[in-house]
Amino acid sequence: MNPQRISSRRRSLMLGAAAAGATALTQPLSVLAQGAEEIILGGSIPMTGVFAFAGIGINAGIQDYLKIVNDAGGVKGRKIKYVPEDTGYKVDVSVATFKKITSQNKVNLYYGDSTGFAKTINPELDRNGNILMTGASFATELNDPKKYPNQFMVGPDYTEMFGILLNHIAKEKPGAKVAFVYSDSEFGRDPIESSEALAKKLGLSVPIKIMTPAGSVDVSTEVIKLRRAAPDYTIFHGYILAPIPEFISQGKQQGMTSKWMGTFWTMDSSTVMKMGEVGDGFMGVMPFRYYYDTEKAPMLEKIRAMRSEYQSTAYIQGFLATMLFTESVKRCLDAGKPLTGPNLKAALNTLKDFDTGGLIGVPITISGNSIPVGRVYKADMKAQKMVAASDWIKL
Amino acid sequence: MRIGTLKESYVADAALFDSRTQHAWLAIATALLLLFPFMASDYWLYMACLVAINVASSTGLNILTGYTGLVSLGQAAFMGLGAYTVAILQTRYGTPFLLNLLAGGVVAMLGGIVVGIPSLRVKGLYLAIATIAASFITHFLFANLRITGGTGGLSLPPARIFGLDLDTSFRLYWLIVPVMVLMLLGAANLFRTRIGRAFIAIRDRDISAEVLGIPLLRYKLLSFGLSSFYAGVAGGLWAYFFRVVTPESFPLSMSIFFLAAIIVGGMGSILGGILGAVFMTLVPELLKLVFDWLPGGADLTVFLSPVRLIVFGALIIGFLVFEPLGLAEMWRRTRRFFHLWPFRN
Amino acid sequence: MMDWAFLFEITLTGIASGGLYALAALAFVMVYKATRVVNIAIGEMLMVGGYLFFTFAALWAMPLWLAIPATVLACGFLGAVIERTMIRPLLGEPPISVFMVTVGLGSVLVGMVEMIWSADQRRLPDFMPSSPIMVGDAFLAPKVFWGAVIAAVLIAAVLLVFRFWRGGVALRATASDQAAAYSVGINVPRVFSLAWVASAMLAAISGIIVGSIGGISSSMGVFGLSVLVVVIVGGLDSVLGALVGGILIGLVEALAGAYLGGEYKLLATFVVLVVILMLRPYGLYGTREIERL
Repeated sequence: MNPQRISSRRRSLMLGAAAAGATALTQPLSVLAQGAEEIILGGSIPMTGVFAFAGIGINAGIQDYLKIVNDAGGVKGRKIKYVPEDTGYKVDVSVATFKKITSQNKVNLYYGDSTGFAKTINPELDRNGNILMTGASFATELNDPKKYPNQFMVGPDYTEMFGILLNHIAKEKPGAKVAFVYSDSEFGRDPIESSEALAKKLGLSVPIKIMTPAGSVDVSTEVIKLRRAAPDYTIFHGYILAPIPEFISQGKQQGMTSKWMGTFWTMDSSTVMKMGEVGDGFMGVMPFRYYYDTEKAPMLEKIRAMRSEYQSTAYIQGFLATMLFTESVKRCLDAGKPLTGPNLKAALNTLKDFDTGGLIGVPITISGNSIPVGRVYKADMKAQKMVAASDWIKL
Repeated sequence: MRIGTLKESYVADAALFDSRTQHAWLAIATALLLLFPFMASDYWLYMACLVAINVASSTGLNILTGYTGLVSLGQAAFMGLGAYTVAILQTRYGTPFLLNLLAGGVVAMLGGIVVGIPSLRVKGLYLAIATIAASFITHFLFANLRITGGTGGLSLPPARIFGLDLDTSFRLYWLIVPVMVLMLLGAANLFRTRIGRAFIAIRDRDISAEVLGIPLLRYKLLSFGLSSFYAGVAGGLWAYFFRVVTPESFPLSMSIFFLAAIIVGGMGSILGGILGAVFMTLVPELLKLVFDWLPGGADLTVFLSPVRLIVFGALIIGFLVFEPLGLAEMWRRTRRFFHLWPFRN
Repeated sequence: MMDWAFLFEITLTGIASGGLYALAALAFVMVYKATRVVNIAIGEMLMVGGYLFFTFAALWAMPLWLAIPATVLACGFLGAVIERTMIRPLLGEPPISVFMVTVGLGSVLVGMVEMIWSADQRRLPDFMPSSPIMVGDAFLAPKVFWGAVIAAVLIAAVLLVFRFWRGGVALRATASDQAAAYSVGINVPRVFSLAWVASAMLAAISGIIVGSIGGISSSMGVFGLSVLVVVIVGGLDSVLGALVGGILIGLVEALAGAYLGGEYKLLATFVVLVVILMLRPYGLYGTREIERL
């Protein structure tokens, strides 16, 4: 019996040591690394994965604006610290990083990477009660201050984007036929039903709605259906680049005369330029000015001074989001209120005719969760730029 | 060094844990499990719950693939069935959560039996591909039926027990981990029964098993049913944990994750299922820690996601090439070393 | 009231896009025929071909007549490396192990592509004639048409090779009985390498074509799942089956997409899969596996 007792005791000892080690590991690895009075801006940022181009831009935009703010002494003497984590655009990773960041810091501002994340984290957000959140999603469902009281979006929601495009179409060509082509995903399906109703209200007709399966390579059958519907305008939604160029090139080959349009995530300059020849004349709605816009915009000039290469619209979105965050914090502190989610949101909602330094062409008012303002831009392939094709439309 | 294990009764002989040392281990493990939530931060509690859910689901897959030899790539689909059932019941009828979990398991079980029907005609890889079809068909159903909320999915209120909301990782731990332990004990006990031995016989040579009098279709369907019941309950726990279910929550890559987990852990042993699930769930976190420590700052984080993919694939390939019996075998070797010390064999 | 012209147009497009599937299926069958390995990473190998072509033709601005062979050769080399390092050590292991190795391989390839080229979607430079193909009143997209033509030519070539060239015969011999092939003096390991190299090269061509049509991205590999259905329908080890299966699945997808809606495409494909598995599990042209105790 002796050997067994020794080895079992030895084993128990080792187990005990391992347990102690494991216990030590369970403590958060970084001590609350917060400076005195710092305000934390946490972020679940998609710096890798399918949304990487946007994530990198957003990350840079947030960092740059915070540099401007912190260099000027912060907000009422308090600096804002940015704590990001990469999520690869996966919802469970985003949720995990949210929990990690909020357990290690006292977070007041948060940037989320997707519609899925925004919806999932909402109950947590409400329970936490200290955080105002925005993100890369413009989903219609999020534009509901009652259901999502601690969230907002930096631009129009997808239905409002369609609304801006449809308004423009109705003005240019009343009674036109507008086809919708969208992807089979939550992102894609989000605005379709409500936009169809809106189109009818504006006197436009929707002869066909085409949904393409996610990751589909060959869209020839869809193009055939589209051609037969002979629309005057075709709006793409739910994509970044593919399969739009293929649709346009095949459509043009088949003799279609439709004008082609897209929504926010397709409309970054570098994305549209990748379309090549077929992208000439491609239009879409963009709530912000582009990096190279020459109209009077003091913030754009500052950005151009900080960064000499082209910055994407995702960058501007991150930049602007941080501007709105900072303004909410400032107004909240000015009113002497503690930094909680509802207070920050209320402060945000006091923004009336707020000047974004030209990033959005008109002064904005945020009465709910979105900023329903945008302009239609057109692609000029020769100049390799997006040029304005309409006035700033406020819904 | 363990020399002889004398048993004096049938009960003692058939016991699951038969030696004093195993009892000691069990006691320590239970104590650790009980103390963990009081010592861990929110983040590690979150990870613990996730690991527990993965362990439960991996054990289910182990029953099907490790013990019965029927390769399945549909585990995520069955979890989805369980999760959606729980979500629908909770949001529409507000039934108590234990009932919902059971219902989720049952619905998934029915789905599993349906998917198992082709196992009569096809075997091996063909069956695996049929389960991929199941994955896509369930995804289609989730995304297009009204009752499942379409592509937006469903969000559900937290489970309630005696008026207390289970909405923090700490509270959910006390739901998820006991359920997982029950499921583990159930699976371990399964393989001491006739049914379990029949499964193993089917894995080794199913035609011979039939010759021995084991009705193949009935036992194969039973295996599918049991494993998908496990998946369904795990899916239900998943639903209560994340509180939002969408069609994208249960992709094919999740099924591949579970298959990889049992391969890395060691197919055909309960311990393998546990080790594999724990390992595969924690490796991405470990990678992130490594990246945080490396100099290079924010620029390196761009590479985290692709590196995760590469490590995932490399782990599968590595284990299959170098250690096909998985982590469980490595564990057994270490144990044997200590059992036999100071002798070599 | 049937719109026959529409049906004709859809059918034409379906058959042509089926040709694309057939080419990728051919690459798959090549490996299975020789080594009995189900290579689920075929979609990812296709993707690597697309990205390499992008690097050679767009980033390094090589002329086409140089870029295409360079891509094909580079992928062939990759195929040889994969075979040597990951498949050869698993000779004799149960098929599920090798299958899982290819699953791991797919993951590694996606990760490497994302690391080197980032996960953004990109377009390949156009190189196929762009005038639309008209069959009567029906329109056929030129890229799809030419892709199908290339696929048909390659499949015919492979069929001939398998029948008449010594290497092709050796491949078939190894496929039916490894031990017997060894005993007649066939260098079986070399045959394995050959099969993987050929498969990778075919995948590269397929990747270039598929990439020209739909652009390249790190999630291109999902094409491989449809290819899996094609080979099951056609028979895992039948070259002719790859062609017929490809056309069939292409047709089914096109008809489902046209008449039911885009979301039904993948569903229709997988329903066909289940039906075939129940009725003819070894596919239309596959050899029946007889299990011996």
